[in-house]
Amino acid sequence: MDGLRKDQSLVGATDNINEETNNITQKVISEGGEETMVPPVGNSIHRSSSRPQLDLSGAAIQGNFEERDPTILLPNQSDDISHLALDIGGSLIKLVYFSRHEDRVVNDKRKKSAKERFGVSNGNIRRTFPILGGRLHFVKFETAKINECLEFIHSKQLHRGDNDNAVIKVYTMFEKATGGGAYKFADLFKEKLGVSIEKEDEMDCLVAGANFLLKAIRHEAFTHKEGHKEFVQIDHNDLYPYLLVNIGSGVSMIKVDGDGKFQRVSGTNVGGGTYWGLGRLLTKCKSFDELLELSQRGDNSSIDMLVGDIYGGLDYSKIGLSASTIASSFGKAISENKEIEDYRPEDISLSLLRMISYNIGQISYLTALQLGIKRIFFGGFFIRGHAYTMDTISFAIQFWSKGGAQAMFLRHEGFLGALGAFMSYEKHGLDDLMVHQLVERFPMGAPYTGGKIHGPPLGDLNEKARWIQGPDLVCSNQKGTYFICNLLQISWMEKFVRKGIKITAPVPTASPRTTGLGGFEAPSSKGDTLRCDESNLNVGVLHLVPSLEVFPLLADPKTYEPNTIDLADPNELEYWFTVLSEHLPDLVDKAVASEGGTDDARRRGDAFARAFSAHLARLMEEPAAYGKLSLANLLELREECLREFNFFDAYSTIKHRENEASLAETRLLTLIEGVLAANIFDWGSRACVDLYHKGTIIEIYRMSRKKMQRPWRVDDFDAFKERMGFGDKKHQRHKRALLFVDNSGADVVVLVANSLPALNDVTAMELPEIVAEAAKHCDILRGAAEAGGLLMDAMINIQDSPREKSSSTPLMVVENGCGSPCIDLRQVSSELAAAAKDADLVCCFNILYIYLVILEGMGRALHTNYNARFKCDALKLAMVKNQRLAEKLIKGNIYDCVCRYEPAN
Amino acid sequence: MEGDRIEEVRLVHSPVDEISHLALDIGGSLIKMVYFSTSREQPIDKTQINASRDSHAVSRSSKDGHLLNGRLYFLKFETSKINECLDFISSKQLHYRGLQHCGFPASDKNIIKLTFSTMVKATGGGAFKFADLFKEKLGISLDKVEEMSSLVSGANFLLKAVPSEAFTYVNGQRNYVQIDHNDLYPYLLVNIGSGVSMIKVDGDGKYERVSGTSVGGGTFWGLGKLLTKCKSFDDLLEMSHQGNNRVIDMLVGDIYGGMDYLKVPVHFLVTWEQIGLSSTAIASSFGKAVSENRELEEYRPEDVARSLLRMISNNIGQVSSHKLDFCESKGEAKAMFLRHEGFLGALGAFMNYQLVEEFPDTIHLAGEKNRNPLVGDLNDNGVIECCVQARPAVED
Repeated sequence: MDGLRKDQSLVGATDNINEETNNITQKVISEGGEETMVPPVGNSIHRSSSRPQLDLSGAAIQGNFEERDPTILLPNQSDDISHLALDIGGSLIKLVYFSRHEDRVVNDKRKKSAKERFGVSNGNIRRTFPILGGRLHFVKFETAKINECLEFIHSKQLHRGDNDNAVIKVYTMFEKATGGGAYKFADLFKEKLGVSIEKEDEMDCLVAGANFLLKAIRHEAFTHKEGHKEFVQIDHNDLYPYLLVNIGSGVSMIKVDGDGKFQRVSGTNVGGGTYWGLGRLLTKCKSFDELLELSQRGDNSSIDMLVGDIYGGLDYSKIGLSASTIASSFGKAISENKEIEDYRPEDISLSLLRMISYNIGQISYLTALQLGIKRIFFGGFFIRGHAYTMDTISFAIQFWSKGGAQAMFLRHEGFLGALGAFMSYEKHGLDDLMVHQLVERFPMGAPYTGGKIHGPPLGDLNEKARWIQGPDLVCSNQKGTYFICNLLQISWMEKFVRKGIKITAPVPTASPRTTGLGGFEAPSSKGDTLRCDESNLNVGVLHLVPSLEVFPLLADPKTYEPNTIDLADPNELEYWFTVLSEHLPDLVDKAVASEGGTDDARRRGDAFARAFSAHLARLMEEPAAYGKLSLANLLELREECLREFNFFDAYSTIKHRENEASLAETRLLTLIEGVLAANIFDWGSRACVDLYHKGTIIEIYRMSRKKMQRPWRVDDFDAFKERMGFGDKKHQRHKRALLFVDNSGADVVVLVANSLPALNDVTAMELPEIVAEAAKHCDILRGAAEAGGLLMDAMINIQDSPREKSSSTPLMVVENGCGSPCIDLRQVSSELAAAAKDADLVCCFNILYIYLVILEGMGRALHTNYNARFKCDALKLAMVKNQRLAEKLIKGNIYDCVCRYEPAN
Repeated sequence: MEGDRIEEVRLVHSPVDEISHLALDIGGSLIKMVYFSTSREQPIDKTQINASRDSHAVSRSSKDGHLLNGRLYFLKFETSKINECLDFISSKQLHYRGLQHCGFPASDKNIIKLTFSTMVKATGGGAFKFADLFKEKLGISLDKVEEMSSLVSGANFLLKAVPSEAFTYVNGQRNYVQIDHNDLYPYLLVNIGSGVSMIKVDGDGKYERVSGTSVGGGTFWGLGKLLTKCKSFDDLLEMSHQGNNRVIDMLVGDIYGGMDYLKVPVHFLVTWEQIGLSSTAIASSFGKAVSENRELEEYRPEDVARSLLRMISNNIGQVSSHKLDFCESKGEAKAMFLRHEGFLGALGAFMNYQLVEEFPDTIHLAGEKNRNPLVGDLNDNGVIECCVQARPAVED
C-alpha cells in the first residue's frame, strides 16, 4: 500500500492540473461539515451537494507551470479554514489547525421566536460571543516523512486560511539537534507551499499551550499511579502558580504565574535526550519508540542495585525504603563480570527509563517545594503517555513529598508546543474560551497519541465505511489515494479490524494493570499486555461552541457533577459496557430502518457497529482514553458515532409512529403519571426494547398506567402538589417552568429539548410539530402553544401582542445544546441559558422559588442530575427501566417510579 | 581498584605487638575499613616513603583509663572481592583486639591480655548481608551500627577533630577550609556511595535524611563499565579526565542556538572530578548520541566516561542544592569535600566503640606533605594519628 500511495500521491495527482487547469471540478468532500479539501483527481469522486465546497473561482496555478507540483491558488475560500501551527520535533511533527464551523441553521422560525422572547437577537449573540465556533484538530506526522505533512497542509489549504501573510507558526526544540529543525524545513515549506515559517519562542509556546489546555478542557490533567489514571478537575481561579516540567532532550522547569507570565526556574540535563542517547549506545535501538517499547518487557532488577541487594533482602525500613527500591541505578553492573552484550536490552532500557524518570520527578518536586508551588504538570516528548514513565515520576514525587504532592500529566501533552504556537497567532480568537464552550469529540479518524503517527480525520463517509469494513476495500477508493495512507495509520482502529476483534460482550478487565510501583517492583504483567501505545490516550477534535453556557439555575456549578453513577468502579463499567454492547444490534437495525433500509444504510450501519464496538473496546482497555469516562459521555459517544456515519436520527420512524398514537393528558396527577409511564418508551433501555418486541408501546403504556399506583418508589408528589397550589397554603405561581423533555412519544409537555437527535429523544426541531398536532386535541395546550408562538397561525401576532393573546401560559421550545440522552448542565445552549437567565435577576430578590425546573426521563433525571441541586424548585421524574440502576439508586426495582421534588433552598 | 594500596602495606612487626580496633562499612560496591593500630610501623606507601615519624606510643592518663597514641588506617576493598578483605583481617589479626607489651606499667587491673574479639563494629547494607560469612570465616560477629548515624558521627569527628579536613575546589585548586567548630551546624552531608544520601546534620547524633538519589557512584561505575569496558573505577575516573563531554552531550548552545535560557544561579555543585564547570553548559547529557548515527564503538571511551561523570555529578549537585534551604543565604553555599570522604561510615562505626577522644590538638594527619592535590589524590587516605582510650575488655 505504500507503493500505491507513492504512485498516486497528491503530488502526482496535482500533475493533472497542468493539463486541465480550467477543468477543475474538484469538490470539498466532507462529512458533517468537516472540511476536507482534496485536490482534483479524475472524475470518480464521491460528491455530496450538501457539503461545503471549495470556491474555485479565481483558481490559478502559482509559479511556474513547468513545475512538477505547482501550488494552486484558491483565493476565494470561505472562512472555514483557519490557522495552522506546527511543532517540528526530531521524530514527530505535530500539527494543530482550526476550522470554522457555524452552527447549522435549523428551524429558523422557532429559534427566532424563542430568541425574541428572551430578548436575544442574532446580532446580540454575535456580540456576546466573539469567539468563532469551530474545531481544533490535532494531527501527527513523522518528521522523516515530512512530505506527507506538506501534502496534508496543501490538500487542506491550511496555509491559506485568512492569513494573508502566509506565515505558519512553528514551535521547535530541535534546532541544531536535527541539523536544522525548523530552519532546515523552512526552505521546504517555502518551496512546496509558498509559505514562510516563523519560529515562536519555545517557552512562550509551552506555557500558552498548557494554560489553554488547563483552562479550556475540563478533564485535561490526570494523575497516574500504578497504571491507574485519575482525572483532576482544576479550579481555574486557583491554577497559578504551577510548575510546568517539559521533558524534551533536556528538562525545563517553568514556573507559570499567569498568561504570558512565567520564568524558567530550573531544569536538568538528564532528560529525554539522555534516555535516547544512552539507550541507543547501550541497546543499538533504532528509534526512541523502539527503546521505549523494549522497556515494557524489561526487568531492571538485573542491572539496578536494589536496597534488597545491599541488605540481603531485608528492607531498610528506617528510612522508608523497601527492598525493591533502587539504591543505585546500574549499580549491579559493577560487581558482575558481564559485558554489555550479556545484559538484555530490555532490562537496560527499563533501568535507564526509571533512572531518568525518577530523577526528573525528584528534581521537579524539590523545585516545586522550594518555590512553594502546589501543582506540577509534566509534558514533553519523553513522556508519550508511557505508563512506566508516568508511574515512575509519580512515584518519585509521592515518595519525596510523603504523599503531599502529585505529579499531573496532560492528555494533550504531545501537542503542547504546537498548540502554543497556534496560540501565538494574534487573531485565533481562543483567548477567552471557557471550559463550557468546548466539546471534545472522537471521530474515527481523530489521532491517537501513541507512538504511531496519524493522518487527518477521515474525510469522506463512504471511504470511512469502506475502510472500516476491511483494509482491502481501502484500495478501491477512487478519490485519490491521499487518505488511504492516513487511514492505514490509524493504528488502533486498524488493530481492531486487522485482528478482527469482535466485541460480543466486553470481558471483565484483567487485574488492574499495574506498572509495578510502590517500590520499583518488576512489572507484574509483562509483554503484550503492556504495549506502550495501549497506555496512551486518544486526542479528539475539539469542538468550540461559543454559544454554550452554564445552566444559570444550577445551585453550585463548581461542585456540580452530572453523573450519578461512578464508572471508575470496574463493576459498573463492565455492566454498562455489556448493556451497550448487547443493545448495539438492535440500534443498528433501527438506524438502518430509519434510512429506509437501503444497502448503503446497511453498510453504514455495519460500519457504525464496528466503529462503536471499537470505541468500547478501546475504552475497556483504557477507560481514561477519551478523558474522564462517564455514562453520559458514553451515551453521547454513541450518538456522535451514529451521526458520524450519517445516521442523523436513527429513531425517526419510531418516534413518528408513537407520537401519532398518543396525545395529551392534562391534570396534574395524570400528567405526572403519564410522564412516568410514558417514560417506558425508551430505546436506551434493553428491558424496554424487549417489551416493545412483545407489543406496541401504547399498550404497555396503558397497562403500566393501571399498575402505577402511588406511592411511587420516590414520591414527593404531595409536596409538589402543595406547591402547585392545590393545598391550603397560597403560593406564588411559578413564573417560568423549564421542562427538560426526553422520550418522544406519549408524553408531550415541552420546553427544553435536545439540539440533535439522541436515541428516541424528541428534538427541538420536532417539538413544534408535535405540539401543533397535540394542540388539536387540547385547548389548553393550544392556547399555550399559541401564546408561546409555537403554532403557525399565532406567529403573525406574536410580535405585537404576545401577552394579551390569551390567559394561557405561553409554551415555548428551546434546545438544550445536547445531542445525548443525558444532559450536562455545565454546557447548555445559550438559548436555554437565556430562558433561565431571567431567573438570575429574580435571584437577587430571593424569590427564586417562582421558577421550576423539571427534569424528566432516565438520562436526564437519573443517569445524570439525580443529585444535582438547583437555585429554584426542581422536579425529577423518571421511571427506572434498569434493574441494576433501580437497586443502586433508589433501592427499588425495575419500572419503579421516581418523583423527586426539591424545593429551592 | 581502590584497595590497591593495601598491597603496598607491609608489616614489619608481628601483629601481636599491636593494639588494634577494626570497623567496617560494607557497601554495595566497596568495603571500607578503618582500623586503629599502635604499631609504630605504619603501612608503607610508595608515595609516603618519608612519612615515618617517631611516634612512640605515649600513654597519658585520663579519668577513665589510659590513652594510647596510635594511628587510624583507611582501606578499601571491592565488595565483590570480599574474600580479600577477610584474608586481610585474618592476616593482620585485626579481629584480635588486644593490648599487650604496650609500654604501660603493668598493674593488676590494667594488664590486658590478647583478647579474642567477638564483635566488630560494622555498618552498611553488607553488615547484614555478610554477617554469616564473617561468623563462618573469622568467627566474629558484626555489631551493626546504623548507617546514617555512622556517616554523621564520622563526618562530625573529621570536621571537628582533623585540621584541614575540608576543602573547596575552585578552578582546579584545592582550598582548605578552616571549620569553625562553633559554626559547624547545620550542614548538609551528601554521601555519594553506590547511591547518594543527603543528610541534614544539626549536631552530634542529630540528623535527618532529607534526600537522596539512586544515581550515584554505582551508576557511574556500572554504566561506565558497560559503555567503556573499563575494568576499574579508578581507570574510569582517570579516563574521564582525558575526555571531552562536548562530543556526546548536547550543550545549551546546541539546542538554543547559543541563547542562554538558564538564568538560575547554581548554588551548589558537587563535581567528582572537581573541575568546577558550571552545570548549565549541558542541555542534555548524551543528547548528541541521539542524532548522530554513531555506534558506541565510534566514541572515545574517554569522552563517554567524561559525559557520564558530568551527568552524575551535576545531578547530585543539583539534587543537593535543593536541600540547602536551611541555609540562610543560598548564594554563599559552597560544596566542600572531605579528605576522608569515603570512610565516613567506617569511621563512624569506629567511633561507636567510643574509644576516640576528640582532642583536636592531638589529632593530625600522618604523612601530611605537599602533594599535588590534583591527579591521583582523589582518595587521599591520609592516616590519622590520634589517641584512643585503653579501657575495653579489661573492665568487663
